[in-house]
This record gives sequence, structure tokens and C-alpha cells, in this order.
Amino acid sequence: MITNILSRYRPRYVRSLVYMLQASEYKIGDYFAWLRRVKDFGAVEKRKQLTKSPKALFVLGLGWLLWLAIIACGVLVVFTTFTMYGYALGAIIVLASPFLLAYGIAALLLGVHLVQKPIGAAVISRARRSLARHTAVKIAVAGSFGKTSMREIIKAVLSEGKRVAAPPHSYNTPLGISAFVKTLKGDEEVLLFELGEYYPGDVRTLCNLVKPDIGVITGVNEAHLQKFKTLESTARTVFELADFLGEKPVYVNGESELARKNARAGHIVYDKNGAGEWIVESPHTELSGTTFTLAKGSEKMSLKSSLLGLHQVGPLVAAAVIAKGMGLSSEQIKTGIARTKPFDHRLEPKTDESGVITLNDSYNGNPDGVGAVIAFLASLKSRRFYVTPGLVEMGARAEAVHREIGRELAAAEIEKVVLIKNSVTPFIEQGLKDGQYRGEVLWFDDALAAFAALPHMTVKGDIVLLQNDWPDQYA
Amino acid sequence: MHNNKKKTIAVIFGGRSAEHDVSIITAHVPIIQSLLATGQFEVVPIYIAKDGSWYSEDAMNDIAYFKQPDFEERTRRNKKLQLSFDNGFKIIRPGFPSKTISADIVFPSMHGTFGEDGSLSGLLRMANVPFVGCGLFASAVAMDKALTKQVVAAEGIPVVPYVWFTRNDWERNKSEWKEKIEKLQWPLFVKPVHLGSSIAITKVTDATALENAVEVALHYDDKVLVEESVENLVEVTLPIMGNDDLQLAATERPLNKTEFFDFNDKYLLGGKKGSGVNSAYSEIPANIPPKLAHEVEELGKKVYKTLGCSGIARIDFLIDGARERIFVNEVNTLPGSLYHHNWKKVGVSNIELVSKLVALAEERFANEQKLTRTFKSDILNKASGGKL
Repeated sequence: MITNILSRYRPRYVRSLVYMLQASEYKIGDYFAWLRRVKDFGAVEKRKQLTKSPKALFVLGLGWLLWLAIIACGVLVVFTTFTMYGYALGAIIVLASPFLLAYGIAALLLGVHLVQKPIGAAVISRARRSLARHTAVKIAVAGSFGKTSMREIIKAVLSEGKRVAAPPHSYNTPLGISAFVKTLKGDEEVLLFELGEYYPGDVRTLCNLVKPDIGVITGVNEAHLQKFKTLESTARTVFELADFLGEKPVYVNGESELARKNARAGHIVYDKNGAGEWIVESPHTELSGTTFTLAKGSEKMSLKSSLLGLHQVGPLVAAAVIAKGMGLSSEQIKTGIARTKPFDHRLEPKTDESGVITLNDSYNGNPDGVGAVIAFLASLKSRRFYVTPGLVEMGARAEAVHREIGRELAAAEIEKVVLIKNSVTPFIEQGLKDGQYRGEVLWFDDALAAFAALPHMTVKGDIVLLQNDWPDQYA
Repeated sequence: MHNNKKKTIAVIFGGRSAEHDVSIITAHVPIIQSLLATGQFEVVPIYIAKDGSWYSEDAMNDIAYFKQPDFEERTRRNKKLQLSFDNGFKIIRPGFPSKTISADIVFPSMHGTFGEDGSLSGLLRMANVPFVGCGLFASAVAMDKALTKQVVAAEGIPVVPYVWFTRNDWERNKSEWKEKIEKLQWPLFVKPVHLGSSIAITKVTDATALENAVEVALHYDDKVLVEESVENLVEVTLPIMGNDDLQLAATERPLNKTEFFDFNDKYLLGGKKGSGVNSAYSEIPANIPPKLAHEVEELGKKVYKTLGCSGIARIDFLIDGARERIFVNEVNTLPGSLYHHNWKKVGVSNIELVSKLVALAEERFANEQKLTRTFKSDILNKASGGKL
């Protein structure tokens, strides 16, 4: 209790506030929500640290100035009044300074936003004009999950026959995309964009910037539900891409129930069975990768990817069909598919010197992706450890989603389930009980303790799946 | 979420030994880290400094404590630990108020003299507390390379021909001993009998080198072993766990970079790879013919039983690869880092390893408690005078 209160009066407090703002992507609402939950400000930077970006350093400087100004006000009151009331008021101002600072810094940031907004608008407007002049085919990927994977798959396949460019990392906001547009040479044949969705209207705004010719909708689920409130609202936002494209080609992931339900006539639905007239034959997945044959009439392509899990077949098929439509040969597609490999922290396998295989799936934090990965684990023969802190931002669906994960883990007969103590993992435990789980549940206070313990629990041949990360703002 | 009452386990490490630092590594990786990871134990670290003083503070559960450049100085500023053997093993952390912690089990993690040689087991036996690993007798015999050879050879287990002598023997009658040594087939190995981790071991090919090597060995020990070297040498080692029913790890072959496997190979170079022990320089399982591998396992079990080992031990063998002959070299009653890298390869995780060792300690302790040690007699009454 005393430690918690004192944590507001330490010099590190300003840095903690700036870190919270940065981790909340400077979204004031998210920052306030986090602020209300924090008890010990000394412990907010747990999983990550403040990235010293120019903006963060600027806000940090601003924060210090503000804090000193508040304290100076308190002192000034004392020295100008020299009365009992003056002393009391001064003391109250100084004691309340951390609280005033926490909200004052947000107000200052709003001011910064106001200055930044017109500058940002000019940058975006320039990017829009530049893109309108660009002759490349523009492909846009939208969805609650799997966007980056889809983008990387399409990029790998199309690169076999076209000059393809796509924004790095997960640059999927108007400013991020605009920064990428500045780097284009002008001779690209295909531009690939990921459209991020945080609030209704986001996808429409991005479509107006990018003006895509082809769309891919990877799915709709509970991701960011806390912000969208309802799944219908999420679906409407994601399908703003289809609204924009109208008659132009839209590929929709049929394995996502909500995406499939919202698909319209003319949309090309893809899943592990195929896409359009293309049919998938003999799909197979193991730790070394996934193989299948894609057939249309007498035309057949035997494809092999290093991506893991049958849930990858659908996106691979969609990429192959898009490539075919853009004139790539079967041989080029085969080479392109062979080049696809697990991306950072997305079911990325690594074998350590003890022979333990770790599948890092820490960037996968959505129920559909989790279900697909558990299905993949179920197909493996070794002893399996499933490590998770649960999923964030599930809103009112948190209990249902996590109980389902528990039931899926029980059905897949995963030998060891490693849970991190927080508000949602007890639901996974409940789901395991629902599914009459017979394996062992291991609890850890935090993810770092679990990671430290894992090397001591595992032996050669074990498979450790690290599912999802749990950023500091959800702790 | 479980909340059972945790057992208190004291891990003792460090000590007045050339292997003081290695002991710290073993204590943390895997012992303390794995015990903590089980969530079933309160771990009390007990560190014995190089001067023999005993210390304990919670921060010592983290190996980072011992990586601080000034850790020895920091430790010295602490108050020394007090011990009590009053019906169990208790440590008293001085302070105001002082804190008494009663250990349910002790996990010795001491290599070499005063730790692995039976001294610590004897102390814990007196305290009547369950402790992990070999008991006093096996530890004392295994610590003496010459005595180990004498004991196992008596059971018909093959060892290479050897000569041993003490400092006194050598100083008083050097020529006689040199004569005996001359009869062995050269080249020879000169070893201090009580040191582990290949410290002060020299391979010699002529009489001058022999004298120098004996001087070096006598610098560290007062008893020296001179033995024949094995030609076409393949060294293998076999970790074994158990009391009555034995569980074998994989036969492991250290892949030597130098003429023989020395301290640097074992700990310092291997340590850089992050595994603590020599996994980077090992072949697991050793690529030797199945017949030899089977023989190594059978001999390993026989040596373990002959010495009366319990808990865990590691048996080292020398194989003449051309003649396919196996010799038992030595026994190590606390393998560095418990050879956890090897156990992992045969499906025993660190947690399973330390948990099983704790269970074996409890089993041995329970069996010992059933023995009758005292009985009533009226001998004192008869001792009033004269002959008993």
C-alpha cells in the first residue's frame, strides 16, 4: 500500500506515465483506462521498456516541466500568502502533483495532437496523390487477424514474377502507409497494403488513401472487441474494404465464420479446401511444413510451404490464385509458395541445443488463430507444452473465448498447460475442467517466471508452444 | 491453483575447494532454478565462502549475486550463519530478531574437498536430516581415485595398472617409487587422488617430466596416483541415478580439444555456450559399438553398487578403442550441474531430475530411520570396577 502510494513520488514516475502513453499508442482513452488500474507505478514497465523515440523524449521533457511547474505553483502559494490556509493549499498542491501530472500530461498531449494533425493530414494527402499516380496493382488486406501473415505470403508468391513492395512491420495506419509511400521508386508492379482497424471507419479511410484494386479479407473475430463493442461492428468495419471495391475481386477467408457469413455474391471464398474453381487435394502438415496439391481441371500444382498447420492452406491457396490471375506461371507459384516461411513470432519453430522445439506464436492473439494452432498441436506426436497468458481485448466474450480454448486444449490432449495468473486464465482452467482434461496445469505468477522455468521442465523432443504475449497495459 | 505447504530445502554450495566456483554453477543451474520452478519448495541458499564461513540470504538464490564483481566483499559484510543440529538441520540467520529456518531436506551441491568427499554428508548424517546424493562412505571412497580403484578391482572390475604413494612416501624413498613406476607401461598419467575437474593432472612420457608432474600433484594433494595411459583412447562417462533401482542416463563421450579433458574443457569453454557444462564438446549418446555400450552400462551399475552410491553419481570409463577393452577410471558423486544436459537427452527434465533426487533422499532417510541404532544394556552398571 505504502509502496504503491510512494511509487507516484519517485522520479521514475514521469517516465512510467510516458511509457503508458507510448504503449497505448498515445490514445488518451486507453491511457486513462490503464491509469485507473495501476497501483504500483514502479512496476508498469515490466515486459517492455520505454522506446526513446523523439516523440517520447519530447513528452518526457514536457512531463518534467509540467511536474516542476505544479510543484513551483505549490511553493509559490506558500511564499505569497504565508498564512495557514496558504501552507495547507501549497502542501495539497505539492502532494497532489503526481495526480495533476497524470491528467495534465494527457491534456498537453492533446495540444500536441492538435498541432500534429494538420501536418499529418498534409503528409497523408501527399501520399494519396502519389499513390493515385502510381500504376502498380494495389492489393489491400483487411481483417481482425492474420493480415501480416497474408501480406507476407502474397508478397513471397508474387515476387517470383512481379516487382512487389509492401510497408515493413505492421505499418497499417494512414501515417505509417504514407511514410512507406515516400520510399517507393515508382517502378513497382504490385503494392501490398495491410489495413489496420481499431475503430469503425478506419478501413474506409485507408481505402480512400490506397484505392485498392484487389481485396483480401482474412477474417472477423473478437480481436479489438473491447473497442468495437459488437462483432457486427467489427464485421462492418472490416467489410468496408468490400464496400469500397464493389465489383472488383475480393477474396474472403471461408474458415472465419463471421467473414464467410458476410461474404457477398461475386466474392471468392478461400479455405483449406480451395478457392473458386481451384480444389485442394491431399493436404498434410508436420513440423517441417505443409504440403498440398492445388488442382483445377487437368492443371495441378504440387505445393510445399514451411508454414505450419492446415490453417495456412487457405491463405496459401488465395495467394496462388491471385498470382495465377496476375499471370504468374505454375512454376513461379510453386517457387513462391516454397519461399513462404514462418514469420517472426508466428508459429515460428526453433530447436535449442537440448533438442526442445519451441513454436513461438506470441504474436498470435486471436481465438481463430489459437484454435488453428491447437489443431496443429493435436496432430503432433511429441509431449506438448502450451504456454499462454490468455488473450487480451476480448471484452464481454472473454469468458466464452477462454473456456473454449480450455476445451480445445483438453480435446487435443495437450500434456502440459502452462498458465500465467491473470484475470482470464482461470477461464481456460475452467474450460479444461469442462473438457475433462487429464494433463497437468502449471501456474506461474508472470510470463517471465514461466519462461525461466521452461528450460527446466522440458526434455529432448518436447514441443513448447508460446501462445500470445500479454502487454503491460493489460497486466 | 495449488497452495500446498511447501517443503523447505537447503542447498549448500561453494566451499573450501578448488571447485568452489563450479559448485556455485551446479547449485543454480539446474538445482535452485529447477527447485524454484516446481513451485513446491522454499529454497534456502547456503553459501560456504572460500575461507569456510557460512552465509545465507535470499538474494543468493539468483546466480546473478555471484556474478557481481564485489560479491565476495559484499558477502563478508554479512553476518555469518549459525547452525543447529538439535533434532534436525536448522540454520539461524543472525539479525534482530534472528530467524531460524528448519530444513526439511538438504541438497548438497559441493564439489571436491569438504563437500563431495563425505565431510558434508557426515555432518548431515549427524544432524539426522534427509540429504540428496551419496552418503559418507561412497563419497569418501569415490573422492580418493586410488582407493576407488582398490575397491572396484577387488570386485573384479577392470582398472588400468597403477601405483599410488603419499607425500611422505615420495620424499623418503623417491627412488623406490620411481622404480615401481618404471615397471608401468609408459606414457603415464600423474594425478592428485582427491581433486576433481582434472585439476593438476599431467600426462608424462619421460622420467624428468614425471618428477615435475609429481611435484605439481603434491602441491595440491598429499597422495598421488600414477597410472598407465590407455592407447586408442575413447573416454566415456555414464550418469546414474537411484538407490536400489537404478536409472541410467546416456553414455556420453566428451570430445576433447586437447590431449585430455581438462578443467577448461569441462567448465570454462563449455560455459561459454551457456549450458554450464560441456555439452558443446560431447557426443550423446557416445558413438561406440552396442556391445561396448552395453558393457559400459553393466559395469557402471556394478561400480555404483560396489561403492554403495545412492541418489546420483557419474562413472567415468577409459576404452581402448582398438582392443575394445573397458576400464573404470573414477567415480564422481556429484556430477557437475548434475549432467542435466545428458538427462534431458534421455527424457528427464531438470525438474524431474531434482524432484526425483529429493524423493530418493527421502526414501533413503526413511529406510535408515527403520534401523535400530541403540539398545538398552546394563553394561554401565557392570562398569563399576574390574574387567568388563
